Amino acid sequence: MSKYRYLCFLFVSMLVPTLAFGAGETVHWMTPHYTFNRTTVIAGARYFAAHCMACHSVSSLRYEYLTADLGMSKSEVMKDIMLPSGAAFKGTIDSPMPSDMAAKWLGKPPPDLSHMDRYLGSKFIYTYLLSFYWDPARPSGWNNYVFPMVAMPNILAPWGGTVGPKGQVIYPGKLSPAEYHKNVADVVAFLRYASDPSYFKRMALGPYVIGILLLFTILAYLLKTAYWLDLKKKGRHVDSRVKRS
Amino acid sequence: MTTVTDAEHDHKNITRRRFLTAATSAVGVVVGGMAVVPLIESMEPTAAALAASSTTVDLSPIEPGMQVTVPWQKKPVIIINRTPEMLASLKETMDKGILKDPLCKVPQQPPYCTNMYRSRIPEWYVGIRICNHLCCIPHYRPKKGSVAPWWLGGFHCPCHGSMYDLSCRVIQGSPAPHNMAVPEYEISTEKMSTTITHMYPKAHLC
Amino acid sequence: MSRFSVWVNQRLPLDETVKEHLTEYFAPKNFNILYYAGSLLLLMIVMQLISGFFLMAHYDPTSQGAFASVQGIMYDTNWGWLIRYMHVDGVSLIFILLYAHMFRGLLYGSHRTPRELVWIIGYVIYLLMMAEAFVGYVLPFGNLSYWAGEVITSIIHAVPIVGPSLTTLARGGPGVGTATLQRFLALHVVLFFLIILAAIVMHIVALHKVGSNNPDGIEIKKHKGADGKPLDGIPFHPYYTVKDLFGVGVFLTIFVTIIFYAPTMHGIFMERTTFLAANPMVSLPDVTPPWYLSPYYAMLRAVPNKYYGITIMITSVLLPFLLPWLDRNPVRSSRYRPVYKTMLIVAGISFITLAWVGEQPPLPKFFLIERVATALYLGFYILLPIISTIEPTRPVPERVTG
Ligand code: HEM
Ligand code: FES
Repeated sequence: MSKYRYLCFLFVSMLVPTLAFGAGETVHWMTPHYTFNRTTVIAGARYFAAHCMACHSVSSLRYEYLTADLGMSKSEVMKDIMLPSGAAFKGTIDSPMPSDMAAKWLGKPPPDLSHMDRYLGSKFIYTYLLSFYWDPARPSGWNNYVFPMVAMPNILAPWGGTVGPKGQVIYPGKLSPAEYHKNVADVVAFLRYASDPSYFKRMALGPYVIGILLLFTILAYLLKTAYWLDLKKKGRHVDSRVKRS
Repeated sequence: MTTVTDAEHDHKNITRRRFLTAATSAVGVVVGGMAVVPLIESMEPTAAALAASSTTVDLSPIEPGMQVTVPWQKKPVIIINRTPEMLASLKETMDKGILKDPLCKVPQQPPYCTNMYRSRIPEWYVGIRICNHLCCIPHYRPKKGSVAPWWLGGFHCPCHGSMYDLSCRVIQGSPAPHNMAVPEYEISTEKMSTTITHMYPKAHLC
Repeated sequence: MSRFSVWVNQRLPLDETVKEHLTEYFAPKNFNILYYAGSLLLLMIVMQLISGFFLMAHYDPTSQGAFASVQGIMYDTNWGWLIRYMHVDGVSLIFILLYAHMFRGLLYGSHRTPRELVWIIGYVIYLLMMAEAFVGYVLPFGNLSYWAGEVITSIIHAVPIVGPSLTTLARGGPGVGTATLQRFLALHVVLFFLIILAAIVMHIVALHKVGSNNPDGIEIKKHKGADGKPLDGIPFHPYYTVKDLFGVGVFLTIFVTIIFYAPTMHGIFMERTTFLAANPMVSLPDVTPPWYLSPYYAMLRAVPNKYYGITIMITSVLLPFLLPWLDRNPVRSSRYRPVYKTMLIVAGISFITLAWVGEQPPLPKFFLIERVATALYLGFYILLPIISTIEPTRPVPERVTG
């Protein structure tokens, strides 16, 4: 298989989660359990910066948005999220890994994750992150139930543990499954924010905008009834004030 | 009789209509205003434009007496490494009393540049090279006597003849009202670099 | 009248126009909820113009920059998300209104004589809106845009003889790229949009020439008072202006709720595949048109033959033009025509079903439903000329009811 077709195959298999069904395996889509609020998203952002940002960008986002949208302080962002690679606070959240290098190491460049949540959905990302298994036949040693022939290694194995193709535990992780699943759910929450950055603004503003429009609607309704009273009266179907020439 | 109550009722109803018309219009105006604000704000520079808005210039190749003009936010910014004679000429123009605003009282520069050098470090002048009159780019004329016999060095605008000294302070008799604008910048002689960050908001470009 | 307004009115027929179209335009007093759609469509066209203007201030029509510039609107522009959601969700709401508006016309026989031209101009607007929506859809250059552009421009390929050169002309090159985006942008904001505006003006002028129909489908001009005004008519202003203002309030509240709480409407108003940049190398697993066009797409798929499929699709798009003449019953409103009403509702449900299957993956399990719905929908048009001549009708009232 030419490298090119291989890449295409990878991409397509990612686009078509149903391919996994075709392969005769049943995927149990797992729903991440998290409350979507700023705390969860900040936890996810920290986790993402520590574990994912070495390879993946979320380049539609800027560091400064983490302060404006999530309420982190500038120093927290600089300390916990920004990479020491000379990134600017107003700049986009880019991975320091040059993509040609990444292509060499991993077989394909890690995709930008800005819109992944809206594109693939939270369930897919969550299940994908929890579906790695050890497969010595693969160059990286890793394979994935929902994304066969995955190029990404299971970088979370030290925390979540390593399982074999049949789901048997090879090494247990440093974290309990509950803690680990919570961390992964936080990352999913962060990616959801990344793909829908206006979420918190909309939630904050929505009630006021709807409120004033409702007020307008009620007033307009009363105005309408005040005028239409004319029609209720017998024999008079138009407002006496409307001049008839 | 019915006509009386009808008339009374009509009268009440018309007052009610007037009130409701006013109230609905008022809320309607608020709703419209609420829509207009975001629309206008959307036309402001985007975060991407703002992130790309600062420019860093390496000062090491600029020897004393030299100048470079660099683009910053689509505007020419001049950086001059002034020699001691040039700095002395700034005092001279003041003594001659030919400047419109020798003490830089008009905030055409950030507070940290409100001095006769109009700069953070006397030698290094960093300023926007745009004539305060009608936005032309003045010629740099450092040589004494080059524009007029009394000329001590400075800028001469080709459009309507505005004259400035080597701190870009405007000379009397020029059509330009104020000194040329100085943006906000940071400068370090250790790193030999300067970063122009943003426009000084009170300064009036032209 | 002040001297100034006299001066103006001697030169510009302001008062006359206001009288003709508002204060002395007599509309039947029994309009129901379906009659809000017309004025709301006017509102929405203006809203699209405004939001579109501000989007265009940031849009870059190149294959390199289009996707990034649209994401820049969503992430980097002040309130850009609000403006884009207004524009995108606005399209879906316009089509909901258009379908309600057209269905209203069929329910009450508003397309029948003397309002044939109102109907035909209206239907032309609908077709133009589809074209407008399609070119707009390609502009953000997500992967869905790209493939939609490819697929639709290749349908033109099927046109006999000139097809291939027309396709190249539409794309401005061998494939969908910068040239396509630039000409689509020009069509979207200039040509199509201006024609739509002109058609809307003609639509309303034509309507006001013959007067509005009403849910009873009877002519209010038959019963005039001593002053020569229809007894069942009321001046549009102030009665319907205040009523429509209330409609605007309700509608905007719904619109804003969608924008703030469900801007993608779970992938219906904004499909998930719009969030991936255009990629000529990767076709999409789910190339389905937006919901408002999917009924026709489903009809295309229902026929297992390329040319018959395209023929059925085009026929079903064009058939509504003939409706004023296909219907032969002297009674207009379905209120007094139970059989017609049933047929219309069946056709409506088939259309919605087709919209739904059109969004499903092209799997054999949907074929039956697709074909049945297509047959029922087209059946309406085929049976109408016969049924309308023999169907029983209820007595029609002299004066409007309710
Ligand atoms: C953007 C598109 C459109 C706009 C702005 C628009 C606007 C209007 C307005 C303001 C009215 C008068 C108010 C009312 O009766 O609701 C009207 C009436 C009408 N429209 Fe449209 N319209 C549009 C599209 C269409 C389409 C696509 C059709 C059908 C193919 C259509 C058919 C009619 C008919 C038959 C009437 C007369 C209704 C009656 O008198 O009962 N319109 N339109
Ligand atoms: S613009 Fe410089 S003198 Fe007029």
